[in-house]
Amino acid sequence: MKKLFALLLSVTMLFALAACGGGDGGTTSTGRTPADITAAGVLKVGVKTDVPGFGLLNTADNTYSGIEIDLANKIAEELGVDKVEFTPVTAATRGQLLDSGDIDMVAATFTINEERKLSWNFTTPYYTDAVSLLVKKDSGIEDITGLADKIIGVATGSTSMKALTDAAAEAGVTLTDANFSELATYPEIKAALDAGRVDAFCVDGSILAGYVDDTNHILETVRFSPQEYGIATKKANTEWAEYLDGLIKGWLEDGTMDQIIADNGVVASYEG
Amino acid sequence: MIKLVNVNKSFGNLHVLKDVNLEVAEGEKLVIIGPSGSGKSTTVRCMNFLEEPTSGEVYINGTQLTHKNKTEIIRNSTAMVFQQFNLYPHKTVLQNLTLAPIKLQKVPKAEAEELAYKYLDIVGLREKAGVYPSTLSGGQQQRVAIARALCSRAKIILFDEPTSALDPETVQEVLDVMIKLSQENITMVVVTHEMGFARQVADRVIFMDDGRILEEGSPEHFFENPTHDRTKAFLSKILK
Amino acid sequence: MIQQIMEPWRWQSLLAEWPKFASAFVTTLEIAVFALALALALGVVFGLMSTSHNRLIRIIARVYVEFFQNTPLAIQVFFVFYALPYAGVALSQVTIGILCVGTYTGAYMSEAVRAGIGSIPKGQFEAAQSQGFTYIQTMMLIILPQTIKIILPPMVNQMVNLVKNTSIVTMIAGGDLMYRANAFATNGTMSYGPSYLLCGFLYFLLCFPLTTWARRYEDRLKKRDIQTAEQLEKVEEGLA
Repeated sequence: MKKLFALLLSVTMLFALAACGGGDGGTTSTGRTPADITAAGVLKVGVKTDVPGFGLLNTADNTYSGIEIDLANKIAEELGVDKVEFTPVTAATRGQLLDSGDIDMVAATFTINEERKLSWNFTTPYYTDAVSLLVKKDSGIEDITGLADKIIGVATGSTSMKALTDAAAEAGVTLTDANFSELATYPEIKAALDAGRVDAFCVDGSILAGYVDDTNHILETVRFSPQEYGIATKKANTEWAEYLDGLIKGWLEDGTMDQIIADNGVVASYEG
Repeated sequence: MIKLVNVNKSFGNLHVLKDVNLEVAEGEKLVIIGPSGSGKSTTVRCMNFLEEPTSGEVYINGTQLTHKNKTEIIRNSTAMVFQQFNLYPHKTVLQNLTLAPIKLQKVPKAEAEELAYKYLDIVGLREKAGVYPSTLSGGQQQRVAIARALCSRAKIILFDEPTSALDPETVQEVLDVMIKLSQENITMVVVTHEMGFARQVADRVIFMDDGRILEEGSPEHFFENPTHDRTKAFLSKILK
Repeated sequence: MIQQIMEPWRWQSLLAEWPKFASAFVTTLEIAVFALALALALGVVFGLMSTSHNRLIRIIARVYVEFFQNTPLAIQVFFVFYALPYAGVALSQVTIGILCVGTYTGAYMSEAVRAGIGSIPKGQFEAAQSQGFTYIQTMMLIILPQTIKIILPPMVNQMVNLVKNTSIVTMIAGGDLMYRANAFATNGTMSYGPSYLLCGFLYFLLCFPLTTWARRYEDRLKKRDIQTAEQLEKVEEGLA
């Protein structure tokens, strides 16, 4: 028994060491300052590849487009950096990539909340969205009360699940883990909706807009839980976070942000 | 007992048996000799359909062997002893002897083991019942293989060069067992190069060459007065 | 990741979710056990088919193996999950996991079985045939038991791969261990460190006993072979 315990312990240590080897090593532990980035000449940004209007990878010519891409380019401009290196991230990977120092910032429809603030710094929100539901036209689901015995597709690691559960609870409907299917990407949730694997697709309205077609529609009556998207940076790197926050605040005041949103064909920020 | 009628066998373009006709009587001890590649092994392997003839007929106790009925007929009528022994390496000596009787002849286990010990006594290996074949010498393995053949209680035992793979010093122990066996009322067909054995045991000897039976007769005829030149040449080479 | 592992409050929040991890562990176990049973059955059946004398049966086995070996498991799972509902077949995620992981691993296992059968000397088949064993009896009683020693290491590799591959159902929200770990890692406090560490540890708990058992069993078989060799030497010394 003692031997087994020792073995298990050493295995655990091994896991920890392997995890450690991933990134957090010495010099990058606080991350790069704006001056470091300017000096290096390249800004590394984690973005979405599958969210029309925010971060979309055009596979034909391998270029990115969307609000978050424009934002990243604008920040690079401010830093005096010519090159922006985009790294595709998912809800599951973006936090780790920041922590490991592989990327400087994440602009990937990353919703700000109190729990996440424990782990990362967020700028002032550059966009406010609200969660909505996309359902098949023939599903018979008209509002949140119709979800009790349904399966709702959400993206792995998105906050929509908790938001919808709370909103449903207010409407007197209890949703449990069994009501949700967490899938890795939005296209997969759309495929699951088309195949009848899920009955509703729940995520921020701006994202849902990219998936509307003849067979489905967004429930206009269901808009809840405003989601504020902020640029996330490494927790320890306060100088960099303050720098970015200053930029975003300025662009919100002078109308630059509204322009970027409009340029990308996205509906204006949700207000109250 | 065994009858081959116009048996031909080809492997691809190689025509190894050419119109072989042969009859073996009940209790007869037949020895087949001949140079390598003469078709003697194939002849004996056709008798239990390990090789199915390309054309011609094989009869066992008057019944014609077919692809369909071969398993049934072989099970009850014939047993074979191979050059490489072919004992089952994952089974003990005793299990090698009782497997077929228990699984095929449906003999109760105790009875099958009793029978196995009886034949182990005959081949002089009772004390090896519990060991695995790989712990035995070649001669011992072949004696076990003979005991295994006896356990089937088949009336016909086919021997395909039973001593060719043995170390010289163990050949005689196997031949001794076979000589002992020849006193029983068992039909034995033996492919061998052991001329001493042939002379001592055979009722009839067949000489094969190039897929044909060239000459047959009593051992005396063969070893003292062979008619065919090829037989003479072969014997003079092998008896030297 | 390392900071997260050092923070006790993250482990506490993980502990609060323990029942969910436990039920996910059971789901993974359930998929693994049934998929393993399916894979073993398919492995033996298709392994036997691929050594058949019948060309058509061999081709069928070949198609099965090539299809499942040369397409990603993820595609197979996606196809069944997303495409089959259009044909009116909507299987649950656990069922999909069992079917897909089972058939996928079965293809690899059948290759191991085929290689194992191929490594058994022809004489073993002939000995069985000469005793009158049917094809199925030959395989079950004589050939397959002998292949165990040869195919055990690749089989255990495949079993361990199977356990780990069950995590594929995470991609279709299968409610398995990996899915639960992912959900915990990416929701709430996003404590991915403790979550993935625990997850890895639980998979380890499933696989480690399997590999340990296999290593011991292999050692035992090897020891038996060494003993055999030693005994053989003694026999030879005795003769000399």
